[in-house]
Parts: sequence; C-alpha cells; structure tokens
Amino acid sequence: MRRRRISDVHVVAEVPSFESVAKRHLDDVHAYLVYMTRDREIAEDLTAETFERALRQWRRFDPRRGSARTWLCQLARTIALDHFRAEQRRRRREGAWAVHQPVEVEDGLFGGLSPELERALAGLSAGEREVIALRVLLDLDIETAARILGISPTACTTRLSRALKKLEERMNADVAA
Amino acid sequence: MSQPDHEAILDQISASKLEASPELRARVRAIATSTPPEAPRRAVSWRRIALVAAPACLAVAAAVTLAAGVLDSGKQRPTQAAGRERAATLSASADQAIPAPKATRTGSADLPSTSGRAQRYEAELRLKVGDLSSATKRALRLTRDFHGYVRSVEYGSGAERGSATMVVRVPVGSVQKAIVEYSAIGQILDQHVSIEDVQPQVDRRFRQMQAQRDAIAKLQAKLESPSLTPAERRVLENRLVAARRELVALQRAQAALKRETSYATVSLDLRSTEKAIVVPDDPGRIGRALHRSGEILADEAKVLIYVLIVGSPFFVLGALAFAGARLRRRQSEARLLSTS
Repeated sequence: MRRRRISDVHVVAEVPSFESVAKRHLDDVHAYLVYMTRDREIAEDLTAETFERALRQWRRFDPRRGSARTWLCQLARTIALDHFRAEQRRRRREGAWAVHQPVEVEDGLFGGLSPELERALAGLSAGEREVIALRVLLDLDIETAARILGISPTACTTRLSRALKKLEERMNADVAA
Repeated sequence: MSQPDHEAILDQISASKLEASPELRARVRAIATSTPPEAPRRAVSWRRIALVAAPACLAVAAAVTLAAGVLDSGKQRPTQAAGRERAATLSASADQAIPAPKATRTGSADLPSTSGRAQRYEAELRLKVGDLSSATKRALRLTRDFHGYVRSVEYGSGAERGSATMVVRVPVGSVQKAIVEYSAIGQILDQHVSIEDVQPQVDRRFRQMQAQRDAIAKLQAKLESPSLTPAERRVLENRLVAARRELVALQRAQAALKRETSYATVSLDLRSTEKAIVVPDDPGRIGRALHRSGEILADEAKVLIYVLIVGSPFFVLGALAFAGARLRRRQSEARLLSTS
C-alpha cells in the first residue's frame, strides 16, 4: 500500500496498489465486458486493454471520487464504446460486400445460466445487457451504476426495469415456443 | 416448462459465475506487474488552478487598491482654502450654514483673467443672504461702481423665502475684485467660474482681415492697369466690392468679439433661506487612504460588473454549447449501444 497526499489539508487516504486492484476486480471487469460484447474473446482483449489503460492512468485515480471498481468499469465502458464505434465503421465500410451474419453466441457465455436465459440475454441490446450487468451481476448500487452509465439514477432504474421486462418476455416466448 | 418469474431471473444472473480465463489472468498480471510509464508532467486540474487563481486575483486587486489609496493619500491639497474652494463649487447640500470666510473672499472666485488675451469670463454665484432686498440693492450698486451694467434682474420675495436672480456685466479688469465684493454680500452656497480663451479666434480673424486687405490692394492695382477690357474691369470691380464687404464683416465680428470679451458675465443668485454648505475637515492621511481605496474598489467592482454583463451572453452560449455537445455524445452512445 502506498500513501498519497490528496489534499492540502493533510488528509491522507489509503490508495491500494494497482496489482491488488487488478487482481481483485479482474473478474468483475471481464464479466461486465462479456455482457456488453457478447463475445468472450473480444471481452478478454478489451479487459486487457482496460487494465493497460488503467495502469497508465493510475496516478489520476482518486479514491475520494469513487471506488477502484467503479473507476475500472468507467474505463472498460469507454473502451467498449470505442470498440463498438470501430465495429460500426468497419461494418459500414464492408456493408456493400459483406452478408450480414447473425451473431453466434457460444454456450455458457454468461457463466452457467439456463439456455433460455442465455438466449434471451444475447437478444438484448448492449445497453440493456450493460445495465443488467452493473446492477444485477456486479450488484452496484443505483447511484454508482448511474454514474458509470452517465445518466440519472431515475433513468438507470427505468432502463433496468425495461431490460428485465424485455428479458422476461423473451424468455416466456422462448419457453412457449 | 414453467414460466420464469422476475426474481428467478435475477437470482440466476447474480448467482452465475463468470470468471476470467487463466490466460487473461496471466495477461493482466503481467500488465499489473509491469512498470507504469513515466507520468509526463504533473497535471494540474482546472479546479486547482481556479482555487489558486481566484484568491490570488482578489489579493492582487486588494493590494493594488490599498497601495494606490496610500500613495494618493500623500497628495495633500495645497491649502485649506483650496479645499473650501472645491467644496464651495459643489452644489449646496449641507446641513449647517457657515459664514463666508475671509479666505473665500479672496480665494474661491479669484481666478484672474489673463491680461492681453481675449477671454470669455463667466461666473455664477449663489449666495444666502439675510435681507434679500438690501442685498439685491447692494449688488446692483456694486455693479455700477465697477462701471458694469445689469443685463437682467428677477426679484421675488415671499413671507418665508425669497430669491433674486441677476445677470450683470462687469469689465474684465475689475471682475476679480467685483466677485470678491459680491461674495461678501452673503454666504456662498455655490459658485462656478469659467474662462474660455478666444484669443486664437481673434488672431485667426485678424489674419483673415490682413489677407482681405492684401487682396483688395492687389485688385486695386489691377484696376489701375489701362490695358483692361471693359468686361475684365467689371469682373475685377465686382470682386473688389465683394472683398470689401467681406473685410467689413470680419471687422464687425472682430469688434463684437472684443466688446464681448471686455466684459465678464456674472450671474448672481441671491436666496434668503437656503442653507449654506459645510466645508469638510481634512480627514487626514489614513482617512484619505481609506477613501481612495474605497473609490478604487468601487471602480474595480464596476469593471467586474461590466465584464459580467458583457461576457454573460458568451458564458451562456458556451454553457449551451457544452450541454449540447454532451447531449449529442450521450445520444450517439445510446444509439450505438442499442444497435450493438
């Protein structure tokens, strides 16, 4: 643990080492990115990229403004958005020649859920899966999740409620079929 | 198969195990144990800059104010009489009447005209008098004594208050003495003296007259030539007449200006009830420093308010642009996430 002077009034805060933070929150960041991307390989690449960037920016981390997990999730989100933008550009470039392929979701991608739930989750949009990952999987409180998403807590609650409703509908439809 | 309920879905998701692969774990461990790159320079946040800059600006403004106030406070007014003069030229709004001091009689209106130069000399005196009627008579008598004349008099007297307004013309050579004598009629409430130098105008007109005289002499010389045709002679004669007429006009204007500047105009406003002004005491160096500092602070506040008023539309526009860009970015992110 190292000590950092974080204000001029001699308040000293404990800042954990980057190594311990990486070890503790790797699974969380990885799970969040799996939910966002629906692709384990891409999620692993983005997770590694997230920790690379986090290492570069570790000096800027201020524990007073939020936990290390929140900070890492914010970084992971930025990197995932960059990835989606790049993908969108690529798809636009190749759109004239490429045939649109439905996304194949590997079994057990979301970590041992029922096949109906896996399929229903995969059918949601990245934004909907993201809010489920933050609120349900990572069990973040509403304010922290809203902060990561850059929206108000009310909007976050609404988004989660809609996502779960959609998820339930899809699962019911799947079961009925 | 039964329909899945809401709680069951949540339980299933929160109970799921989504762990990183050993390869990813090793990859991240390698990243975490590597040496972080050197920070280029300590980045200073805007918040910190503002936190330092705002008190620094205030401190500088306060220091400048205080320094200017202290420096200016050292500039003593020449004399107490001069202070009274300054005070006496302000409009009367004081609470207590003071008798006209001796210094005022020889000081406040004692602005001499420059002899040998044409100047418009105008003076205004507002006086508090005891007996309006006798004061008015005395002013008129003084005007006659100084070989001046009265241009207008307006006299009105009621049960409690009365006033007399007169405009007199006094020879410039005697005006200083006349003003001192007028001031002695009562207590000075307000006075104003203005001198306008019109000598450049006199000189310019003199040069124009000289030029006209030269032109007339040349025209006369040309007319004496025997070789002139009748038409040419007629043209020259017409020009000669016009030049003489112009010269006469210039001479008249010059004479009028000289007459005007040979007399000073003194406006006397005599009042029988109005309160006289109080000449403030010299407040001392500390008092002057504080007063001056206050004035500078007020000026700084004016500048600040001006900057705020002028800059506020730009601040609002900037804030709107910032909010718009943020909204656009969020909408773009939402679109991106809904299609991914």
